[in-house]
Amino acid sequence: MRKFNYIFFAILIMALVSCKKENNNGSQPVSHDAKGVFILNEGTFTFANSSLSFYDKEADTVGNNLFFKANGSPIGDVGQSLALYDGSLFIVVNNSKYIYKVDAKTLKFQAKLEGFTSPRNIFSVGDGTAYVSDLQRGGLWLIDLDKMEHIQFIETGNSTEAMVRVGDELFVSNWSNYYVPNSSNKSVQVIDMKTNTLVETIDVPQEPNAMVVDKNDNIWVLCSGGYNPGEQDPALVCIDANDAAKCQIVKRFDFNAGTDYPDGLAIDGAGENLYYLNGGYSSLDVYKMSINDTQTPDNPFIAADERVFYNVAVDPENGDVYVTNAKNYVQNGDVERFSKDGELLSKFTVGIVPCYMLFN
Amino acid sequence: MRKCLIMLVILMMAAVVTAQDTIVLQAVEVSAPAIKTDAAETTMERSVDTSVIKRLNSVSMSQLLIQHSPVFIKTYGPGGTATASFRGTTASHTLVLWNGFQLNAPSLGQVDFSTIPVFMTDQISLKWGAGTSANSGGLGGVVNINNDEYFCKGLIVNVKQTYGSFNTLGSFATVGYSWANHLLRVKAFRTSSDNDFTYINIGVIPHQKMKQKNADYVDYGMMPEYQWRFGNSLISIVSWNQKSHRNCPQIMPNVGNENTVEYTDNDFSRNYVSFKNYWNTGKIEVKSAYFRENQRYVLNTFTDIGTPVTSMDSKNTANVFHQIADVEQHLYKNWKLNAKIQWDHEQVESSDYEDVKKRDVFSTYAALNGNVLKNIDLRATLRNDIVDGKSVGFFPTATVSYSCAYLKGLKISAGYSHNYRNPSLNDLYWNPGGNPDLKPEDGRTVDGNLNFTRDFGRFSVESQAGAYYSKVSDWIQWKPTSYRFWVPENVSTVTAYGAEVHLKMNYNIENWIFSVSGNYVYSHTTDESDKQLIYIPLHHANAFADIEWKGWSFSYTMEFTGERKTSMNDNEFYGFRLMPYTLHHLSFGKHFWKLDIELKINNLTDEDYQAILWRAMPGRSYEVAINFKL
Repeated sequence: MRKFNYIFFAILIMALVSCKKENNNGSQPVSHDAKGVFILNEGTFTFANSSLSFYDKEADTVGNNLFFKANGSPIGDVGQSLALYDGSLFIVVNNSKYIYKVDAKTLKFQAKLEGFTSPRNIFSVGDGTAYVSDLQRGGLWLIDLDKMEHIQFIETGNSTEAMVRVGDELFVSNWSNYYVPNSSNKSVQVIDMKTNTLVETIDVPQEPNAMVVDKNDNIWVLCSGGYNPGEQDPALVCIDANDAAKCQIVKRFDFNAGTDYPDGLAIDGAGENLYYLNGGYSSLDVYKMSINDTQTPDNPFIAADERVFYNVAVDPENGDVYVTNAKNYVQNGDVERFSKDGELLSKFTVGIVPCYMLFN
Repeated sequence: MRKCLIMLVILMMAAVVTAQDTIVLQAVEVSAPAIKTDAAETTMERSVDTSVIKRLNSVSMSQLLIQHSPVFIKTYGPGGTATASFRGTTASHTLVLWNGFQLNAPSLGQVDFSTIPVFMTDQISLKWGAGTSANSGGLGGVVNINNDEYFCKGLIVNVKQTYGSFNTLGSFATVGYSWANHLLRVKAFRTSSDNDFTYINIGVIPHQKMKQKNADYVDYGMMPEYQWRFGNSLISIVSWNQKSHRNCPQIMPNVGNENTVEYTDNDFSRNYVSFKNYWNTGKIEVKSAYFRENQRYVLNTFTDIGTPVTSMDSKNTANVFHQIADVEQHLYKNWKLNAKIQWDHEQVESSDYEDVKKRDVFSTYAALNGNVLKNIDLRATLRNDIVDGKSVGFFPTATVSYSCAYLKGLKISAGYSHNYRNPSLNDLYWNPGGNPDLKPEDGRTVDGNLNFTRDFGRFSVESQAGAYYSKVSDWIQWKPTSYRFWVPENVSTVTAYGAEVHLKMNYNIENWIFSVSGNYVYSHTTDESDKQLIYIPLHHANAFADIEWKGWSFSYTMEFTGERKTSMNDNEFYGFRLMPYTLHHLSFGKHFWKLDIELKINNLTDEDYQAILWRAMPGRSYEVAINFKL
């Protein structure tokens, strides 16, 4: 018995020592006033080890596990997306089914909004409201960001994913038909933001997972094409959103059916250059193309080279390209920062599966 | 099936009733065939004390193993899945054999030890290293659960009722009759709990005291059994039937998900017939089993007003047939030959597979052991498995053991074993992601063991120390792909090494009986990046002390789990690291007439801990039990 106690005592001491060390020498303290990017790490499904990082792009320093350090609790299970509004940061937590509102500077908890089914992305309108897409419900949510209350649920019949705005219209992609019966996974729906009603449904290739708007108010939709053998038709399409009544696909670029799985789409601040991830089964490369190109590039902008690229974002101010590397998904990932010419500028370690980036 | 069971119960009752006016039979001395376990074998196995099995007959195997064996249990809490890690390996590498038949589900490859009530077993033993040679799969070790042969005992009545915190109820009964050459007995149980313990939720802001929700469960089952002895032969027929309904509680941050219903419904019927025949120098056993298991997982979500939103209903049914023929024959001098042939047919129908999946494994096994030199025993085994018509290869093991001439009771052994594990059917066929091209995992182990067992009259000691080094290549791991679903691959080589120490001492004086026992395990398990695998503690231990005096008993149990990581990071962030914890349990008992009354205090110090990240665990709890045994 005494022997056991001795061992436990030793272990306890070791644990305390290592704990203390981590607190002091872990991540660098970072001011969130700085210009930079919030990185949300989704973590492992059901482990609730999602975490928030912030990269100060001027000082080239990163702070990790910032939410936990500020609040003493985890973000939750599978952090999905971020939004900034009026000095607050909003964190959508998919499998925990809530949105956290924290002070964007201190990251201290302000409010929590529950009642979602499987919230995915958040689109802040700018007037104190936001739309939240949902994977398992046939529609999207409209919420009040000040009061952190639900305003209404807008039925569209399809589960919702990516959102962009052109004029007074919100374009919502329908990525999955798995959870919602008799729904589509090959369309983009148009919501009139004045009436919050569905006004139009545009057919696109299967699984539109990401959308951006270019300088001409055209919407680029990246479609991963489905995963069942024989039904993949991955493509990048461009919708002319200037005339809401027409809303047609004006350009379509097909990827290799059966092998490619494009995912993650970003556009630079000028609205001229698109960045997306594409590749085969085990790794995705980063591609860059101009909105005026007549075909997709053959050669990657950044080849994966053993890296497991997960998402891409572009700094709207200087055009730097940030790419996340999820590594083996069970350890902390990296973010790599490239110039718009593809030169590696910096690389830093964040949390497990870095999935979403938001520039402040 | 249910009708048959009811018939059996009625028969059994009739037997009990008729037994009452029958003359009490004289105990008949039966000479057991003289096959002594050889020295080499005893260094690779250990039985759990029958007194422990008796004392813990109202808990699940998971609790017994974590408190009284070197096996580490990863548990989701009461009523939740509990899987075993043997010698630093994972749940899939712990093979569970029930009277020689594999209990690991063909779909998942694992056993949930929370679904095995100790009450349904008579004997529990552990085997490791070369001791696992007779079957594939036990790359970490084997847990054996067996039914006893049981004759000449007359009327059997054993009834136990427990009641504890969180409305936890357990009812257990064995009734039957044991004649000179026949045994007819039924074991039955029902356990249930609201499981609504209070805990401090540190996954929400601010931290707050909460009641655990949706964690209630009910398990029930019965096992009729018939044994018939004639001449030198024995026939046994056993049928183990069980059902459970368990709600799945949310992890701490997700407790606000009120509009979610998540549960599992499982049932199984495991049946076997065995025939044994003994002769002077050997024995043969031929047995045949049919297992049917149904597993169902339901996840429904609703809107605030109760409209169903999503409904997930995942089902699988496994039908498994096992045929085993096992012969033992004493040869020249001390040499013994054991040969076994086995055919397993697995068939799984699952809503997550494209169609019904089958697998046939045909296995041939031989073991030879004997005395090579004075005090030195040798054991060598060889097995060949043919999976779906294709040979997986030959798997040898060898063990040398030395019985020390100078210190009676001391044995030293060293062994080498080579074994493999088939991918589970989920690994091969899950849709999407299943990888039919997976190779079996290949495991090699060298180990050394030191045993000292001796009875000094009033004082007896049993101790064991062992060290092992294992390499598992083609380790199967599910990895995410760019298609956003996970695919299992033979990714890496995992190296596990460690040491185990076991000590047990008994001392009797006057009316007093003192016993202490304990296990300490060091398990270092790393992948190619040299990082400890998640959820495997470097250190874990347990200890037990018991004092008995004139029917009174007092016992203390301690279990310690060292720090664990939940990701493959070098330095786990403190928020996601599982801190070490020690649980203490007390029990007071009194035996009088045919009754045993017991009061248990579990988690005496009200330790606040997590066995799995963000899974709430109960604090201090109480239980009373009353046991009537004829």
